[in-house]
Amino acid sequence: MEYLLNQIVNGISQGAIYALMAIGYSVVVGVTGLITFTHGEVIMIGAFASFYIFQYIGNNLILGIIASFIASWILGMFIYYVCYDRFFEAPSHISLICTIGASMLIRNLAQIYFGPNQKPMLNIIDNKVYRIGVLQVSLMQIVILITVVVLASILAFFINNTRWGIMLRAVSQDKKAAYLMGINVRKTAMIGNCIGCGLAGIAGLLISIYYQTLQATMGGSLGMKAFSSSVLGGLTDTRYSALGGLAIGLIENLGITISTASFRDIFAFGFLITVLIIRPEGFASRKGAKSQ
Amino acid sequence: MLKIQNLSVNYGYIAAVKNISLEVNEGEIVTLIGGNGAGKTTTLMAISGLVPKASGTITFKGVNITKMSPDKIVKMGICHVPEGRRIFPSLTVYENLMAGTIGNPSLKKPQIKQLLEKNYELFPRLRERMKQSGGSLSGGEQQMLAIARGLMMDPDIIMLDEPSLGLAPIIVEEIFDLILKIRNAGKTVLLIEQNASMALSIADRGYVIETGNVVLEGKGRELLANPDVRKAYLGG
Repeated sequence: MEYLLNQIVNGISQGAIYALMAIGYSVVVGVTGLITFTHGEVIMIGAFASFYIFQYIGNNLILGIIASFIASWILGMFIYYVCYDRFFEAPSHISLICTIGASMLIRNLAQIYFGPNQKPMLNIIDNKVYRIGVLQVSLMQIVILITVVVLASILAFFINNTRWGIMLRAVSQDKKAAYLMGINVRKTAMIGNCIGCGLAGIAGLLISIYYQTLQATMGGSLGMKAFSSSVLGGLTDTRYSALGGLAIGLIENLGITISTASFRDIFAFGFLITVLIIRPEGFASRKGAKSQ
Repeated sequence: MLKIQNLSVNYGYIAAVKNISLEVNEGEIVTLIGGNGAGKTTTLMAISGLVPKASGTITFKGVNITKMSPDKIVKMGICHVPEGRRIFPSLTVYENLMAGTIGNPSLKKPQIKQLLEKNYELFPRLRERMKQSGGSLSGGEQQMLAIARGLMMDPDIIMLDEPSLGLAPIIVEEIFDLILKIRNAGKTVLLIEQNASMALSIADRGYVIETGNVVLEGKGRELLANPDVRKAYLGG
């Protein structure tokens, strides 16, 4: 029982990281209207950016978060101009294939420049563990949860309460109509895409701190997790995508309590498939939306 | 105010609009009528910069806007209420209206408030449904929202693409009343309609378009009385 409760705590903190990735993913998909497979590589670049900052400048989490955000923002711009900008009018599989190609390119360049081996992430947060009854919560888990909640709240505030958020949502719902509102659709889509990537980069920093390792090929499975979480939430809805990420994190960690840690992905993707069989539209039930 | 000279638009090999010239003067209601596929909507999309033009020039208030990007054209003061309304379904009515103000960066907060009040007066039902999502409105309400959204940018000219499409006759009359009100408030209106008799009865001038060409032009009343127009569009 104690073990199970602690696995729930682990699941929530890992799920929070997945949630941040999924929020980024659904922002990207929402605003560009196209599926991306570069998300894992964006996560990886975010992790490496903070790794080098910690190594050469010092153990400062805030600085690491900023570095991850900027690095993945820049990568997001690259991805936008290569994979989306010219293909909005083209059939959607063209940019889809383009993102697969870009992800291979980025991953292999990363293996050349960062090395193919696992690297240990510096331990920048104290290994303090708090006990609440039978529960054990580490300082790291608290920091992760706070970071995710703060970032998600900032994003939610911008999207729901500012003119800029209205622009972003208008672009994600109807690009032609957004043009007719005088919105610079290409610029707005680019910024939205970069914000989604920036959040994914920070999630990459968090997951590499959590596992205390990072690797140039880490993006593959993490990108799929972000994608799955986002699919669970209906792809473009940030709130439900976050819920999807949390669910996958929990299921994974509960699953490995009854089996071994190497079965992690089986539980994650098994859960995805089960949910999609029962509810193909994911958790979200959109009201008032036109069917796409 | 708006002048289109020798405009042609092609979709692939198909010429949708061939050498159309037309002019809209300030304070007028001008209507383009014609059957399906005549090129009316394409003409409007070309003015808004949403389709590439094969040839021709478009000038607005003396400025050549032929090669401007769509968002800059809107900022010149040209508002285009598209066919099929195209409101943002998951934005609330209020947010839809706010989205309209993006097209006019010179608007300040108090002006936006004034415009909002004006529009709520013009469309009282929108005030009731302020917090509802756009997609949950009925067809007529969505059309009103689309027009109100366009008016929120305080444009000089408003181009309406088939505002009566798919609406009940009583609501169509309401919409045409509104168009007159909008003109009386000092806006110029370019109206596209399949409902030719309604459109011509409120229009100052009209153009009849067939297969991409302007075949007739004249005062609204004259066109309404023209035997060819009567035969083709008004059922004899």
